[in-house]
Amino acid sequence: MVQYTGLSEFICGNPDWIYPNPMLNEYCPFDTYNLAYDLAYKVWEILGGTIAWLINLIWPGNPISSWLIDDPTMVLFALIVFMLLIFMVAFVNVLIVLWMERKCMGRMMDRRGTMIGLKGFLQCVGDGFKTFLKENTIPKKVDKMTYMWTVSLIVGLSVLVACMVPLSQRWYVVNYDSGLLIIMAFFALAPFFILVSGWSQNNKYSLIGGMRAAELMISYEVPMLILIATTALMAGSFNIGDIVYAQNDSLWYFIPQILGFIVFFFCAPAEAERVPFDIAEAEAELVEGWQTEYAGMKWGLIMLADYLRGTVSCGMVVILYLGGWTLPFLGDFSQFTIEGSSGIGYLLAWLPMPELVFILKSYVVFFFMILTRCALARVRTDQILNIGWKVFMPLAVINLVIVLFLRVGGVI
Amino acid sequence: MDESKLKYLNKYTDIKNGAQGKPYKTKNLAKGLWIVKPAWTVFKLFSKTVARQPVTVLYPYQKEWVPENYRGRPGLRFDKCVSCGMCVRMCPTSCIKLIEVSDDDGKPVMRPQVNMGRCAMCGYCAEYCPVDAMTVTPEYELAEYTRFDLLYGPRRLHYEGTTPGMEVKLEVTLPSDIESGNPEKRHLLCELDRPELTESKCIGCKKCEKVCPVGAIKMEEKGVNDKGRPILRPKIDNSKCICCSNCVDDCPKSALAIKEVL
Amino acid sequence: MMADSIVPVKEIEEKAEKMDTDKMWVIMGPQHPFSHGLWTLKVKLDGEIVTDAEPIVGYLHRGWEKETENRTYPKIIPMADRLCYAASMTYTHLYCMTVEKALGIDIPEKAKYIRIVADEVCRINSHLMWLAAVGTDLGNLTVFLWCMREREYFLDLNVKLCGARMTTNFPRIGGVRNDTTELFDRDILRTVQHFEKALWDIIYLIDDSSIFVSRMKGISYITREQAANVGLTGPAMRGCGVDFDLRRDDPYDNYDKIDFEVPVLQEGDSYARYMIRVEEMFQSCEIIKQAVGKIKALGKNAPYRIKTPSRVPAGTAFAKLEDPRGESMMYLVSDGTDKPYRLKVRSPIFVNVSSARLQSVGVRIADVPAVLAQIDMCLGETDR
Repeated sequence: MVQYTGLSEFICGNPDWIYPNPMLNEYCPFDTYNLAYDLAYKVWEILGGTIAWLINLIWPGNPISSWLIDDPTMVLFALIVFMLLIFMVAFVNVLIVLWMERKCMGRMMDRRGTMIGLKGFLQCVGDGFKTFLKENTIPKKVDKMTYMWTVSLIVGLSVLVACMVPLSQRWYVVNYDSGLLIIMAFFALAPFFILVSGWSQNNKYSLIGGMRAAELMISYEVPMLILIATTALMAGSFNIGDIVYAQNDSLWYFIPQILGFIVFFFCAPAEAERVPFDIAEAEAELVEGWQTEYAGMKWGLIMLADYLRGTVSCGMVVILYLGGWTLPFLGDFSQFTIEGSSGIGYLLAWLPMPELVFILKSYVVFFFMILTRCALARVRTDQILNIGWKVFMPLAVINLVIVLFLRVGGVI
Repeated sequence: MDESKLKYLNKYTDIKNGAQGKPYKTKNLAKGLWIVKPAWTVFKLFSKTVARQPVTVLYPYQKEWVPENYRGRPGLRFDKCVSCGMCVRMCPTSCIKLIEVSDDDGKPVMRPQVNMGRCAMCGYCAEYCPVDAMTVTPEYELAEYTRFDLLYGPRRLHYEGTTPGMEVKLEVTLPSDIESGNPEKRHLLCELDRPELTESKCIGCKKCEKVCPVGAIKMEEKGVNDKGRPILRPKIDNSKCICCSNCVDDCPKSALAIKEVL
Repeated sequence: MMADSIVPVKEIEEKAEKMDTDKMWVIMGPQHPFSHGLWTLKVKLDGEIVTDAEPIVGYLHRGWEKETENRTYPKIIPMADRLCYAASMTYTHLYCMTVEKALGIDIPEKAKYIRIVADEVCRINSHLMWLAAVGTDLGNLTVFLWCMREREYFLDLNVKLCGARMTTNFPRIGGVRNDTTELFDRDILRTVQHFEKALWDIIYLIDDSSIFVSRMKGISYITREQAANVGLTGPAMRGCGVDFDLRRDDPYDNYDKIDFEVPVLQEGDSYARYMIRVEEMFQSCEIIKQAVGKIKALGKNAPYRIKTPSRVPAGTAFAKLEDPRGESMMYLVSDGTDKPYRLKVRSPIFVNVSSARLQSVGVRIADVPAVLAQIDMCLGETDR
């Protein structure tokens, strides 16, 4: 039942572990093997075991030590470490994406981009620290409650969505059959809070920015949902794993659904509020749009949320159209096991290949987003409605009809 | 309208087909797939800049080449200066002041001091200097910690490696020369203009003799007055005069005036 | 009791109409990303649509005209540079032309051609600054940086010509400051050739992009009559179908001996005004090429500066010139001393900015920066 491969096997081939396989713990919350949980479990086994041992040295036979190595306690703490691990991966991913955007944008504009440390990578870290050190200013006349809560909700939702995107069949938080719908639902929640936040700031620019966020949402959300339904129809499931393996079995969906791919590729930056669809924070006319009154770390967190949403958008493009964590002819690398292979196969089995493939694919998509950002201007508010309803919507429907015919004709 | 000359409008509008008096039609953007061409243009530059470095000059580490006549801060050649005050007179921001310093022999002399905080780098001091003591220099990094440090004294104004190109020559042609068909370039003031005396106004106060920086004015006796005292009148040595108009400015009775040669 | 406290619905409606609740004033500027400099645009918004607008200038008033009255004539030249940093050469040129008219002298041929070259380099500089601003106002940073990169080569030309990048202090009363340097001909032709190729890349980025074009096309129409009433000049006027250019129709400084086209478009929308300026850059390149050839033909020893008297005879003089942004004019009143009695500047932007209301009423707030970028704002000369 349990597929047990990869990194964890390499690290903990030693049978002296308390539980060589976390699945054997009867309180394990996952039905299938989860690499991230496995790693977190191992980490907590080392940490918790050491703490329990040390306490036991001082005070032999105490209840705390036995509580710490208790099965449910192990799972509890392992889950905390697991959540941290998942967030750290998403966070580092954002840092890399941020660095990539700054550097690529620099090269596209014939300048150098960030220059501080590791080809400019440390600039992002430094900027993060800088925003931490800023004073937490709150304007006098804002509605403080809404002002603070909405930004927390926007950032929190973005982090939640970023953590919920599975990197592979064995790196996920929840594996629902309706996973795709849940992710898209959380993804689409933020504009409501942006609207409320814009209202709460007592600033005309923010108000217009918030209104525009809502306007933006009604224009891209409908074609986007049609596209998601189309893909689900094609794969026969809303489960992300099923969609990815369905593509692996037939062919990547961007070939039959080329129209859908193009439309989704342009809806994705709208979801993440990036140029050319960043009308909610259009800095030329509305100073920073709905973010005008946020300063210091709040602004930094909003930027973090923006880029988290950017990575999620790219991840969704990869999942829906570019075969997720699979590669042609190689699949999801499950045929490579540590025992059975040598040389390259051993290396592929040892490395977390599906996760890397997924992340690299989303970087490629992100590169094209940077390219569109550099090449295009911001669209107007009425134009985004026109594009959404008069261009994207018919294209999405045509895409749906094509898929219907393919499905009925039995091609796929 | 000639078709060949409007390079851009011919390509992007239908001006060449219709007359100019009608509204134009722009290019059909569907031919370029709406946004593909700009994206491709950007991508071309991206591949170029990845292969070679971008055009940015990393300023504190790399510096751009500046030509010889670059107008940075003014420079002074201490020995050439005759302290005529022409730079003070011409400075549009009044940042130059003559101060007393001792020269190499220890004698007190007047030399210009420049307040770099006010200097506009216009280069007038170098341009109008009659003896080319003031020059422009290619030095442009002038930040200091205090305003006092921005005062450049005569010795500090010295610039190592002054080349002939840094002297700004003021070459002019006389309109009368152009009329006579001899467009010869001349050095403006020190060659042509000379102070002229109105004898009736002069009171013989010797002030002009004192202020002349090059000693071109000598007082001459021209007979005696009613009371038997000698009448002194300035005599200007045209070969020495640099036409700094110090004598004109200091004359209490406005007896001296610059006679401009045109 | 209840009936007394209830206010009739009709009364509420009347009050609501009087309160003007559905429209709001948004004050854009003086510290706003769209105002390139210090000026304010008050816009009245109905939702997102601008129903009224009012430009407010004057934050940068330095008393320029009064200051000139305390300076001798040559000392005003560096000040004239500071009127507009992007088009410094044209203002210095204009000032020198005014004083020359007052003196009644004619400057040497070579000086005229050098001034033409300097002016056109300056025009390209200024138009590139404007194009960069259009890019950022429409939300694209690439255009900005590409334009700035090209502008750098023209600033280098300024350095080679007169030793300074922006505040050039180059034209003089009676000619120009210095002759062209030895390799200047070669450098300028090389730069112009490079620029004519590089400008196409920027054009591909803007004119082949449907987003850029749709942002500019078909909004903020100005008719010929409106342009005349407001007093629009320069590229903005030619984009409205008025076929007038001082360089061609009232030539100064040997522009009549140079063969070039004046682009005119009848449409009068934002995109037409944009296209005029882009085409003008190509025409400037053409003018530079011809003028450099003429300078070469005049030979190395030709005079380029004549001596002028330091005192201007009493009287008045008026000169006008085609600035990159429009027609700039100067009016000099002299009382016979070596300082002007009065020097009046007619800045094209000060007049063109009064068309802000005309241009922005009816467009959406998103288009306000894009439309007003076509004014090519420069506060130094507006507020003086």
